[in-house]
Amino acid sequence: MNKQLIKLIDLSRCTACRGCQVACKQWNEQPASITHNFGSYQNPPDLEWNTWTLIRFQEIEDAAGKVKWLFRKDGCMHCTDAACVRVCPTEALYHTEFGNVAINTDKCIGCKACIPACPFGVPKLNPATNRISKCDLCYTRLQANQPPACVLSCPTGAITIGDVDTMLAKANKRVKELGGDANVYGDKFVDGTHVLYVLTEKPEVYEHLPAAPKVADSILVWKDVLKPAGLIAAGAVVAGAFLHYITHGPKTPQEESTCEGGKNS
Amino acid sequence: MKKGMIKATGPFERVVHWCVALSCLFLCITGMAMMYHSLNVIGTLVGGMENLKVLHNYCGIFFAVSLLFTILMWWREAGLFSFPEDMQWIMAAGGYLWKVEKMPEVGKYNPGQKMFFLAVAIFGIVMVASGLIIWFPDGYTVDTLRLMYVLHALGFVVIFAFFFVHLYLVTIGAPGSAPAMFTGWVTRGWVKTQHPKWLKEMEKDGTLIVYGEGKYRK
Repeated sequence: MNKQLIKLIDLSRCTACRGCQVACKQWNEQPASITHNFGSYQNPPDLEWNTWTLIRFQEIEDAAGKVKWLFRKDGCMHCTDAACVRVCPTEALYHTEFGNVAINTDKCIGCKACIPACPFGVPKLNPATNRISKCDLCYTRLQANQPPACVLSCPTGAITIGDVDTMLAKANKRVKELGGDANVYGDKFVDGTHVLYVLTEKPEVYEHLPAAPKVADSILVWKDVLKPAGLIAAGAVVAGAFLHYITHGPKTPQEESTCEGGKNS
Repeated sequence: MKKGMIKATGPFERVVHWCVALSCLFLCITGMAMMYHSLNVIGTLVGGMENLKVLHNYCGIFFAVSLLFTILMWWREAGLFSFPEDMQWIMAAGGYLWKVEKMPEVGKYNPGQKMFFLAVAIFGIVMVASGLIIWFPDGYTVDTLRLMYVLHALGFVVIFAFFFVHLYLVTIGAPGSAPAMFTGWVTRGWVKTQHPKWLKEMEKDGTLIVYGEGKYRK
């Protein structure tokens, strides 16, 4: 049985009411941060250990020279090929049966390896507990057959959740309706993410949204090359040493001279 | 101690050697416990993986200090190659792998030992630097941090492989070597076989210390 789920965020329907942001905090019992106005409705300024989802506000100028206001609900993309899961030393970050990336905080050791690994800049460290904290797509709610808090709260239907094929079809249909630069974001990289966007502009227009996210080459070299190489190289040396011993033999001193006065007899 | 044994190392050398060796070994084991998920079980021995991480980090500081002493102590003797004899030795793989008619005479350290020293020194510095940045990542860019993880893994691969070469040679590969790092005294036969040029140099310079002679006379 395939229980893989996809959360679809249709940005063309988002009104930036931030209901999802509040619902997320409420369900996950996260405190608010004290922030200062920096000239934007965006608040807090970035994702935090206690802010797993954030509406980003961005002003752009369109072709006709008119101001356009872009809203984007930022948060964990729940990659299929998740860099954070690849680098986690203790398997604290893991994929659940729904395909989302959850974290077992009992296993997390606060090593912070996942922070630079993530192509979306999602994992954050809670300094008080020294544990990584990030969106788990309301895993406990999914287990109870309930939608994530953000989905439940969304008044315009911009955030919906469902099985992979349904949501992909829905996203593609919506993009066709919108036309122009609208596109589906999330199905073309890291083996597909479990969060899908319908973007109204090209991906590169959005701030903090990589146009072509991927598991960094350095992570592939580290985990797919050097990690096995460590054992292979050491194993080859041990095997080689044994072969050397039984074929060539040890380099034994020609004479054992410990006689009186240290002179050779 | 038997009469006629030759003094190869002093107590300071041996203490520094074991400080760097044991801390390096501990770092390899705890590092592997974090790199290979199946070895996470090692964390149980110290009360969990978080404790293991903390021990790994602080042991790294001990290793860094030991490495500093190691480099200051040995770089002149073991860090510099002398040509052309060291090149000859390397081309002949030290006479370890195939039959070589005429081997250049080896001084206090053979080029293999020099390579091991340089590997530990260079990659040891890489490990300390990358390890500190991974430990305190604030202020570094994502690209720098990603590079540090690769370098840390690369250093492990090199040092861990070299460790087994070292272990083989000082135990069964070149018998008689190990006492140099335990008691400090080795047999004349061993020095003559492994480091003949060094023996000649010490005899010429009058720095040869033989048990049962001079101040070591009973």
